[in-house]
Amino acid sequence: MGFLNFFKRSLLKSPDKQPIPIRGILVFENTSEVIRAENILKKNGRRIKVMGPPPEIRTGCDLVIEFPLIEELNILRVLKKADVSPIKVVPVDNPLLQPVDLFQIKDFGEYLMVRAANMKLTVDKKRLTVVNISGGGCPDVPYLAGEMVGKSLQGAPSPNEIGHTLCGYALQLACEEMKRRCLH
Amino acid sequence: MSKVVDARGLSCPQPVIITMDEIKKQISGEIIILVDTDTARENVGRAADSQGWQVKNIQNKDDGYQITIIKA
Repeated sequence: MGFLNFFKRSLLKSPDKQPIPIRGILVFENTSEVIRAENILKKNGRRIKVMGPPPEIRTGCDLVIEFPLIEELNILRVLKKADVSPIKVVPVDNPLLQPVDLFQIKDFGEYLMVRAANMKLTVDKKRLTVVNISGGGCPDVPYLAGEMVGKSLQGAPSPNEIGHTLCGYALQLACEEMKRRCLH
Repeated sequence: MSKVVDARGLSCPQPVIITMDEIKKQISGEIIILVDTDTARENVGRAADSQGWQVKNIQNKDDGYQITIIKA
């Protein structure tokens, strides 16, 4: 019965009667561990998403990983094996614990801006070229901007290949979101 | 007569966007852009350069910068 009750709790009904799996968030000590855990879990085929931490969680770093809570044991096993265990696992069972979407989108007419965490990427929608990169404050941001501004969204180098900081990682997320919106 | 783009008080990426709008209107000539942050100064210069315009000079002006870009 205990297992059945857990299963029922894990599959809430939405208004259109579709089950919604309860999610959880993994909190890590620092950003490098989040990035490592994300890579490991994605390679492992896990349905996870990097998000901003909910306001109620002040420990850890600026990023958390959201995951389907029903996969908790498997995910923790994979992470433990890779020696990158979270400092906390929090079920999202309260509105105050909802992770924050990392992306903010602003449409300037001919230009579209995607903000991911602390980085902003702006693209000319018609020409699909990068017109501006700003934000961050990391030492590699001017270099990233110099390498990417003026280039096409598809032809510009990937920030995760040429960047070395959290800003590079955030810019990579912004690029992926921009490509999803503009190219697909 | 140079066109003046006043981007003071605007946050990124708006100084770049209004500069790009003016660049699209002009095939060549001179554009003066007024900005009030170091970040905007760098971003505007970079955007102009990426469009084939040259930063002719940057002057301190009224707690900000006056950037002159040209294209022959």
